[in-house]
Amino acid sequence: MQTSEASAVTGIDQFIENFLTAVDFQEAVEITPETEIASLSEWDSLAALGVIVMFDMEYEKTITGNDLKASKTIADLFALIA
Amino acid sequence: MAYAVLRNVRYAGLASCVPGESVSNLDCPPEQRAERERLVRNIGIDHRRVCAPGVCFSDLAQRSAEVLLDNLGWDRSEIDAVVVVTQSSDYTYPGTAVLMQDRLGLPQSCLAFDINLGCSGYPYGLFVVGSMMSAGHLRKALLLVGDKSTNTDSKDMGFVVLFSDAGTATALEYDESAPPMHFDMHSDGSGYKAIYCPAGGNRLPVEKHHLDRVLGADGVLRRGIDIVLDGPAILNFSITRVPPAVNALLSAAGVDAESIDYFVFHQANRMINETIRKKLKLPVEKVPSTLLDFGNTSSASIPLTMTMHTRERLVGPGGKALLSGFGVGLSWSTCIMDVRGAIMPALVEY
Repeated sequence: MQTSEASAVTGIDQFIENFLTAVDFQEAVEITPETEIASLSEWDSLAALGVIVMFDMEYEKTITGNDLKASKTIADLFALIA
Repeated sequence: MAYAVLRNVRYAGLASCVPGESVSNLDCPPEQRAERERLVRNIGIDHRRVCAPGVCFSDLAQRSAEVLLDNLGWDRSEIDAVVVVTQSSDYTYPGTAVLMQDRLGLPQSCLAFDINLGCSGYPYGLFVVGSMMSAGHLRKALLLVGDKSTNTDSKDMGFVVLFSDAGTATALEYDESAPPMHFDMHSDGSGYKAIYCPAGGNRLPVEKHHLDRVLGADGVLRRGIDIVLDGPAILNFSITRVPPAVNALLSAAGVDAESIDYFVFHQANRMINETIRKKLKLPVEKVPSTLLDFGNTSSASIPLTMTMHTRERLVGPGGKALLSGFGVGLSWSTCIMDVRGAIMPALVEY
């Protein structure tokens, strides 16, 4: 049980790190699972493309533009991996 | 399409022409500089070539063909066909190929028609002309490929920063000693709205209101006559369809990836092209790019990249190339060919 909880934490931490790289933020930004994606000032169409590539390359998962629009928070986005 | 192999077709030569005017995506007010640098870093496109007012794709293609014919030393009276692949024809009708028969001084016995394809168009054009030639119907033919994709009136920055203009000319010749060419082509019309122009065809003829800009759901101001790009759909299409198509053709042709000297992909944008390259585990040095200096030149991007980065090596010992086009349609095409001995003059500027 402890092991699976630990790996879940590692999973979303790694996901956030991948997300930061994919969006290529110009300004430093702190992101938590609760962060609302639309609230990020640099979230734009280019960022969305970067995140789609990240899902494909890092998680072998194809997500659509509608999947992104339906995801309010980072945790929602993380849930798409499942 | 099932795998096809063409014999008796020699890739005789290639010339590419771009407008002399180069514009930079980094040419912007200082307050936009950081954002533009991020854009350039991610799409991999800095400079783009833009036709001067009044210049069409056909002018670039004509100049390419003239330079190529001069370099080949071909007698124009011997040319049996001129085929044009473009989505930016001079007129709605007649097609541009017929105009090129006259403008290039080709004989009236010349077969001439257009193919309406964009980014997948170069392998398609090679296959169509090569098929007629392989059957023995043609001896010498010209394939003119490219587009004037830039639109200086567009307010859609997601569109403007990508596209660039180019025209190319390829010469094919019947030759029973030519190495085989391998092809595979695909289409998925269900995805047509990923890249399309809503108004201007017969489905939606242009009306006055199509000239007014309307704010779309994506926050972009467009007219009905402007091209709509669905970035996520294009990205997903490209990175999921192209790598398996490349592997399928290599397998069908019985060719090892290691034996291919160059993999020349349509130049879409850096995100797409790098993802495809990584998925196929191809080394950077085997995947030339013209994105940085020439942007996305639609169907001309494959031949332009061959002219810019591989011409000296392709015509020498390292002449085996895999070409992959993908885009509007949706449509994607792959071919493997050997271009050793081809005549490839340096880039022509218009």
